[in-house]
Amino acid sequence: MSGDNMERGGVKPLFVKIPGSDLPTQIETRFKVTVVGVGNVGMACAQTCLTEDLVDELALVDIQADKLRGEMLDLQHAAAFLPRVKIVADTDYAISAGSDICIVTAGARQREGESRPSLLGRNLTLFKSIIPQLVHYSPNAILLIVSNPVDILTYVSWKLSGFPPNRVIGTGTNLDSSRLRFLIADKFDVNAHNVHGYMVGEHGDSSVPLWSTLTLANVPVLNVRDKNGVSYSKESLQELHRTVVESAYEVIKLKGYTSWAIGYSTASLVKSLLRDQRRIYPVSVRAKGFYGIENEVYLSLPSQLGRAGVLGVANVKMGEEEMQKLQQSAKTIWKLQSELEF
Amino acid sequence: MSNRQDEGLSAFARRMHASGTNLEQHTPNSIFSRIPGSEIPQHKIKHSAKVTVVGVGNVGMACAQTMLSAGLLNELALVDVLEDRLQGELLDLQHSAAFLPRVKIVADTDYGVSADSDICIVTAGARQREGESRIDLLDRNVNLFKKIIPELVRHSPDTILLIVSNPVDILAYVSWKLSGLPPNRVIGSGTNLDSSRLRSLLADKFEVSALNVHGYIIGEHGDNSVPLWSSLSVANVPVLNFHDKKGVQYNKETLEEFHKAVVKSAYEVIRLKGYTSWAIGFSVASIVKSLLRDQMHVHPVSVLANSFYGIDYDVFLSLPAQLGSAGVLGIANLPITEDEAQRLQNSAKILRGMLDKSKMQ
Repeated sequence: MSGDNMERGGVKPLFVKIPGSDLPTQIETRFKVTVVGVGNVGMACAQTCLTEDLVDELALVDIQADKLRGEMLDLQHAAAFLPRVKIVADTDYAISAGSDICIVTAGARQREGESRPSLLGRNLTLFKSIIPQLVHYSPNAILLIVSNPVDILTYVSWKLSGFPPNRVIGTGTNLDSSRLRFLIADKFDVNAHNVHGYMVGEHGDSSVPLWSTLTLANVPVLNVRDKNGVSYSKESLQELHRTVVESAYEVIKLKGYTSWAIGYSTASLVKSLLRDQRRIYPVSVRAKGFYGIENEVYLSLPSQLGRAGVLGVANVKMGEEEMQKLQQSAKTIWKLQSELEF
Repeated sequence: MSNRQDEGLSAFARRMHASGTNLEQHTPNSIFSRIPGSEIPQHKIKHSAKVTVVGVGNVGMACAQTMLSAGLLNELALVDVLEDRLQGELLDLQHSAAFLPRVKIVADTDYGVSADSDICIVTAGARQREGESRIDLLDRNVNLFKKIIPELVRHSPDTILLIVSNPVDILAYVSWKLSGLPPNRVIGSGTNLDSSRLRSLLADKFEVSALNVHGYIIGEHGDNSVPLWSSLSVANVPVLNFHDKKGVQYNKETLEEFHKAVVKSAYEVIRLKGYTSWAIGFSVASIVKSLLRDQMHVHPVSVLANSFYGIDYDVFLSLPAQLGSAGVLGIANLPITEDEAQRLQNSAKILRGMLDKSKMQ
């Protein structure tokens, strides 16, 4: 039986609160992530964060208003297939207020024949319009940079934000490492999750695969034979490294861009951060002082990620050669970075 | 190929899991009635999960990626005519290996790669050209399906076809005709997404979870879809009897606004971003889950509607269908009003009319 205070013109409300209840008008969102840039990469990141059930609120920001609204609607239309999530979008950064993590995928693409310093200069200008706004609306957020060249742009974001370095991270070589693990897993017919190892350094041509600590079922890869009886020498491993470095270019050449893999990669980082998982990932971090690196640069090192961001950098046992390559990678990045006008 | 009706159950049927009930056709008091011509077997299935996706455009890839994220598959095969794009998409998914359960992902322009698929999802289709009539678009798609469907069935005679390409009801019918499969194994994604959009809109208005809004849009996936207001409920309470938090009462007229919004939804997204992908990807993955995992979940999907709700000719349109490993186990005998039945029959007439005009009869 419904009470008197429930009926209005003979029509009842669907739900009636218990008398004496103390219901707030606004519930504070627990996990909010903003994605800047709704291109293929940004949307793959956004959609994967949704399917992995990582967020209560997802905000999308871009300058193209129509595309932005279309992407927002397309995600909202999936509401019945997902846990209840608030999905919002605006060209105005106010929509990003109160974010726990801000993912930046926006970036100028390399024009035909354009030099890297020129591309970098254009991206610096773009980031000058993005980063301060994100910081203004979410002063406690963690910035997660995906746009390329990721190491330099993460450094730029750190400088522009004024944030402590533990709260500014680049996706770095997380995906490269995943690609490497997949290739090795394939050769050995095992699950990629049982291949442990990192590619560190620059996310690019001068990345450094740490062969000496690459293991499969805890056995060093340099000591095992694959299903065809092939054992791994440094040379055959170099071949693998080259394949990984070229991977992204290959996918771009074939389908025009990459999206799915970087989406999964980014979501896995978001999960470790938001849920304080304290897992270790090779991501782009402030590297000065580690492994003999003297330059003030960002590059990928095995880092522990939790709710406070980068909790620390792992002290992995590196060979002489690996450390030298890493320091060289740092110098390469530093050279390009120093040509930037801040 | 053996005559299935003479020799009893096919190899497929013998392999599959029983629906759990002995469904009679057209029993007035039963909840579900089997589609005439269905082959629902009685034996247990060994769980395998291979799905082929034909067409690696935005829709096909959203379907593929969402199924991967949901951990539904042991093997995923991609087929398309564009070699480079196909290879690129394959690599992009393979590179995600460290973030997903182990899945074998393959791709080829040759349908051989689709062999032994449990489900074949078809998203390939010609897009409407400027000023092109629906019939002309339809005929172009029929020609395309004449190349696709026989190949799929040849390599996976035991498969379930799940058609996504539009106009989905017509192309599901076309696929059924071209495949020679029993009707329980040919499904169109139909109004599964439309129904979800409706539930989401209402969930928003009532400030409840979409999971607590129960109701279907059936009929044509398009302008002539039929929302079943008489059985729409929230928390098992019929929507027509209540008002929302702001005191707005829901009668048929106000609800029609929601229906219009749902019908326009896809057009709006296409206008804004050029295509739709994410929502249909989730919708298809939910159908695939029910099929692969024998969930016996009811979805409004495009099925052979002959003999249901006063429709007495061959046509595919969406009805509330129970889905399991054997495909469409049965159609729910939902009480609907005179008006709703009228609209549904009208929807069926329009679709049948299009079929009669096209090259596919």
